[in-house]
Amino acid sequence: MGKTALVSDAAPVVRVEGLRKRYRKQTAVDGVSLAVQPGEIYGLIGPDGAGKSSLMKAVAGVLAFEGGRIEVFDQRIDSEAAAEKVKGRIGFMPQGLGLNLYPELSVEENIDFFAELREVPQAMLATRKARLLAMTRLDRFRDRPMKQLSGGMKQKLGLVCTLIHEPELIVLDEPTTGVDPVSRRDFWAILTQLLRERGVTALVSTAYLDEAERFARLALLHGGRVLAEGPPQAILNAAPGTLVELAAPAQMEALERLKPHFPDIEAVGGRIRVFVPDGAHAAALERVHALLDGLEVHETSASPPTLEDAFIILLRREQAVEEEQRTVARRTDDPPPADGVAIEARGLTRDFDHFRAVDQVSFSVRQGEIFGLLGANGAGKTTVIKMLTGILPPTGGAGAVAGADMRHAGWAIKERIGYVSQAFSLYQDMTVRENLRLFARIYGVTRQHLDARIRRVVELTGIGKVCDELVARLPMGIRQRLALACALVHGPRVLFLDEPTSGVDPIGRRRFWEILVHLARVDGVAILLTTHYMSEAEHCDRLALMHAGQLIADDTPLALKDALQREAGQVLDIAAAPVLPALQALEAAGMGQPALFGRRLHVLAQDVDATRARIRTLLEGKGVTVHDITLKMPSLEDVFVHRILARERAEAGR
Amino acid sequence: MMTPNERMTSRLGLWLWRFWAMTLKELIQLGRDGLLVFAIAYLFLFDTYMAGNVGMNLNNAVVVVHDADQSAASRELIYRFQPPYFKQGGEVADVRTGQRLLDTGGALVVLDIPPRFEHDLLTGRPTAVQVQVDAANTVLGFLAASYSSQIIGQYGFDQALARLGQSASALENVPIVQSEHRVWYNPNQKDAWFMPLSELLVVITIMSIMLPAAAAVREKERGTIEQLLVTPLSSLQILLPKVVAMTLVILLGTAASLGLVLHGAFDFPMKGSLTLFFTVTALYAFTTAGLGLYIATIARNLAQAALLAILVLMPMIFLSGAWTPPEAMPAGLRQAMYLSPLYHFIEMGYGILLKGAGLEVLWDSLLGLTLLGAGIFGFGVHRFRRQFG
Repeated sequence: MGKTALVSDAAPVVRVEGLRKRYRKQTAVDGVSLAVQPGEIYGLIGPDGAGKSSLMKAVAGVLAFEGGRIEVFDQRIDSEAAAEKVKGRIGFMPQGLGLNLYPELSVEENIDFFAELREVPQAMLATRKARLLAMTRLDRFRDRPMKQLSGGMKQKLGLVCTLIHEPELIVLDEPTTGVDPVSRRDFWAILTQLLRERGVTALVSTAYLDEAERFARLALLHGGRVLAEGPPQAILNAAPGTLVELAAPAQMEALERLKPHFPDIEAVGGRIRVFVPDGAHAAALERVHALLDGLEVHETSASPPTLEDAFIILLRREQAVEEEQRTVARRTDDPPPADGVAIEARGLTRDFDHFRAVDQVSFSVRQGEIFGLLGANGAGKTTVIKMLTGILPPTGGAGAVAGADMRHAGWAIKERIGYVSQAFSLYQDMTVRENLRLFARIYGVTRQHLDARIRRVVELTGIGKVCDELVARLPMGIRQRLALACALVHGPRVLFLDEPTSGVDPIGRRRFWEILVHLARVDGVAILLTTHYMSEAEHCDRLALMHAGQLIADDTPLALKDALQREAGQVLDIAAAPVLPALQALEAAGMGQPALFGRRLHVLAQDVDATRARIRTLLEGKGVTVHDITLKMPSLEDVFVHRILARERAEAGR
Repeated sequence: MMTPNERMTSRLGLWLWRFWAMTLKELIQLGRDGLLVFAIAYLFLFDTYMAGNVGMNLNNAVVVVHDADQSAASRELIYRFQPPYFKQGGEVADVRTGQRLLDTGGALVVLDIPPRFEHDLLTGRPTAVQVQVDAANTVLGFLAASYSSQIIGQYGFDQALARLGQSASALENVPIVQSEHRVWYNPNQKDAWFMPLSELLVVITIMSIMLPAAAAVREKERGTIEQLLVTPLSSLQILLPKVVAMTLVILLGTAASLGLVLHGAFDFPMKGSLTLFFTVTALYAFTTAGLGLYIATIARNLAQAALLAILVLMPMIFLSGAWTPPEAMPAGLRQAMYLSPLYHFIEMGYGILLKGAGLEVLWDSLLGLTLLGAGIFGFGVHRFRRQFG
C-alpha cells in the first residue's frame, strides 16, 4: 500500500498485471496488463472472444484465473475472501440485456431486491432510487414488470440496480450492445453524470469501435492480448496515416488499382475509403491521384484515420493476415447482371397477439444496391426480413422479392434468394465442403455442376484453405464467410443478411464487406442487411432506420447526414481542459446538447462561427483552457438519435 | 449467377435430389456424434448380449442351514440343495443369525431343521422343517420357495418309501400320476432366447423414438432449423430424411444384433422369414418415429427430449408384454395393451423368429401395428409441420 502511494497520489483503482485465464484448452486472456485511474471511464474494446468478459469478471472478483495478479482498491484479488472485501465497493453488470434482472418483478421490485442484497438502509434507498430513476427516465415505469421493458430500458434498469449501493468502481460488460441509439446516448449521459457528481471509476467494454472516443483511455483487445493501450489519440498515433476518401464512378476499377498499394481500402456506399500510411494529407492525396490517373475521380478529401483504421493496422502488424486473391471474374455464360427493383415492401404490417411488431413499412431495393436496415433489438428488423423471405405471413401490406409476390409465391422467393441468418446456423459437425454440398443440392444444383458451383463460391469468399475442416473448428469470421458461401451457392439475385457481422473482428468484417461490394457491383446482386453497427451502416448505398416497428428514415447515408446538418446544425468538437467543468458550463448556458466524448465535448450548432466564438468566451470566462474547436462530420448515430427524438416529440405533441 | 441449366428442372428429380442430400446429411451427422454411435452399438450389441446372460433363473441361491439335529437324516436333506439352483452357505448356530443373513442379503434361503428330526422320521412321526425365503425379488423368491418345497417333498417321499421298506422300483406298483411336458418353440426353456429378443425389440423402440427426436431437437437447439426454413424445403422434406436415415440405422443395428448376438452367441433358431421380420421392423421404426418428432416439437433441448422419451417409453414397454405377460395384467390394462405398438411388434417378432409364423397367422398384429403406426406418424408429422411449416 505504502509503495503505491509513493508512485502517485492517485493510486490506480484497478491494476491488472500479466493476467492469464484459460477455459480448458482455450486461452481467453493471455497476459493482459492495465491500470484504471480513479474517476476515469476506461474502455475495453475488441470483438467477441477477445477476452473482455473474462477480464471484467476477474476484476469484479467472480472468476478465478490461473496467472498474473489483480489489485482492486489496493486489495489483491487472489481468493474468494479477498474479493469479498472489496465487492461492496464494486458494481458489476454482466453482458446481456437484463440478464441479471428478474423478468417477473417490476422495475421498483428489482431495485429493492438489489438494494436488500447490498444492505442499503431504507432511508437512503428512497432518495437514491428516486434520483437514479429520474436520471434514467424510468420513473414513469416503476410498476411495470421488467420483461415488458424495451431492450434499452432493461439495460438502464440493470445499471440502476448496479448503482443502488453507490459503488466506487463500476464494471459494465458490453452495456450498449443491441441497444437503440437513444438509449445508448442516455447511457453515456448517465455515466458522464456519475463521473462528474460522484467521481466513480468505470471499466466499460464494447464491441463498437465508434464508441471508443467516449473513453478517456482504452485498451484494444484481440485474442486475449492487448494490442494497444492509452488515450484514443495515443492509439491513433501508433498507426499514423491519412484517410483519403473519394468518389469514382468506375468504383471496382479504382478499387483494383489501389488495392495492391494500400491493403486497407474499402468501398463505402458509392465512395472509396483508403488508408494511406503517410501522415501528410497533401502527399497522401497525390499518391492516390497518381494511381487513379485516367479515371474520373471527384469529391476527394483527406482526413485523419479513425480508431477502427488504427485497430486494423495494429491487428495486421500483430498477425500477418493472409490475403487470398479472390477477384472472381464474370463468366461469359453468366446471365447479365439484373436490373430494376429486386425487393419491394408496401405497407408491410405484422401483429403478434396485441403487439404490432412491424407497422406500415415501405421501401424498395434495386438490383446491385446494398440496403441497410438499422434498428435496436426488437425494432422489427428480423420480422421484416422473415416476412420478405416468406417465413412469416404479413398481417397487412404487400411485397415482391426477385419478381415474385410474397403473399402467393413464397416458394418461388425461397428458391431465388440467399439468406444468412443472425445466429450462425450451419452444421458445425460437418465440414465446410459437406455444408456447401448440402445447400447446393437443396437448391437443386445438378450433379454435373455441383463442384464447379462450389468452387466458384469458395473462391469468391476465400475459404479454399479450410474446405475439409469441421465448421466447429473455424473462427467466427470464417464461419460467416461460409454462411455467405452457402447462401450464394445457387447464384441468387437477392441476398438477405440478418446481422451477419455480429461479433466478428474488424478485419473479418472488412473482408466480409469486400465480398458484399463485389457481389453488388459486379454481379448486380441486391443485398438487404440488418446491422446494429453504425460504422457498418456507412457502407450501405441506402439506409432505413426502424424504431418501434416503424420506418423513420430512408435515404443514402450522406443525404441523411446533410439533412441532420440542415435541421439540427453542425457538430462542433471541442478539446478543452479540464473537461468536466467545461461540460457543466455549456449545459448551464443551454448550448446545443453538449455530450462528453472521452476528454472532448460535442455540441450542435446552427451558426458555426458565432457559436464557436460564444463557446470560447464562455469557457475561458470559467477558467477552462480551450485547445481547439473543430467541425466534425455527424455520425449516423447522431442522425438516428435526432430522428428518433423528433419522432417522439411529434408523437407527444399529438 | 447460376445459369438455368445448372439447376435441376424435373420436379420429381428435384424432390429426390433434395431428399438424398438431407438423408446423407443426417447420416454424416450421426456418424460424427461419437457418443450416439457408442450408445447405438452398446444397446444393440452389448445390452442384448447381457440380457441373454442375466435371465430370471434361480442360480446359485445361497442356502444357510440351522441344523439343530446334526444327524445323518438332516445332512442328507441339506445335501440335496445342490447347484446349479442352490449353493451351500454353511451352517449358523441359531435362527437369529440366519434371519440376519436374510436381512443383509447374505442368504436367499434359510433352512431350519428342528431337533429330533431324524428321531421323528425313524419313529414314523410327522415332522416339519422351516424354510425362510427372501422374496424381495418376487420371481427369485417364488422360484426358491417352490424348488425348496419340491426338494423337501421328494425327500419326504423317499423317506416314506424307505420306511415302508420299498425300493424305488416298487413305485411301478403304486398308483401315481406322471405329468409329461412338451415345451414348444423354446424346448430347453432357454432364457437366452427369450430375453435378448425381448431386449432387442425394446432397444428398437427406444432408438426409433430417440434418434429422430435427437436429430430434430438438435436442429432446433443449434438454430440450424432456421436456415432450413428459408430454403425451398417443405417440412416433409426436412423430417422424412431424418426418419428414413434413422430407420436405416436401426435396421443395421437390428441385423448386427440378430447376427452377432442372438444367432452368434445364443444359437437363436430364426425360424421364420427374415425378410418379413425386417419389413415389419422397418414399418415399426418408421411409424414410431412419429413419437420422436412429436417430442422434438415440445422439447427445447436434448436433455428434455431424453426425459420426455423415457416418459413415453415406460408405459409403452410396460403395456407391451416384454416385462409382464399379457395374461398377468388386470383386465383394464390388458385392453390397453392393444394401444402399445410395441405389443403388436413383440407378438410379430416372437411369432416370426421363434415360431416361424407367417402373415396368415400374424395378419391381425400387422393390422394393429399399421393402424397404430399410421396414427402416431401422422400425429407427429402434423405437430412438426405446425411448428416448422
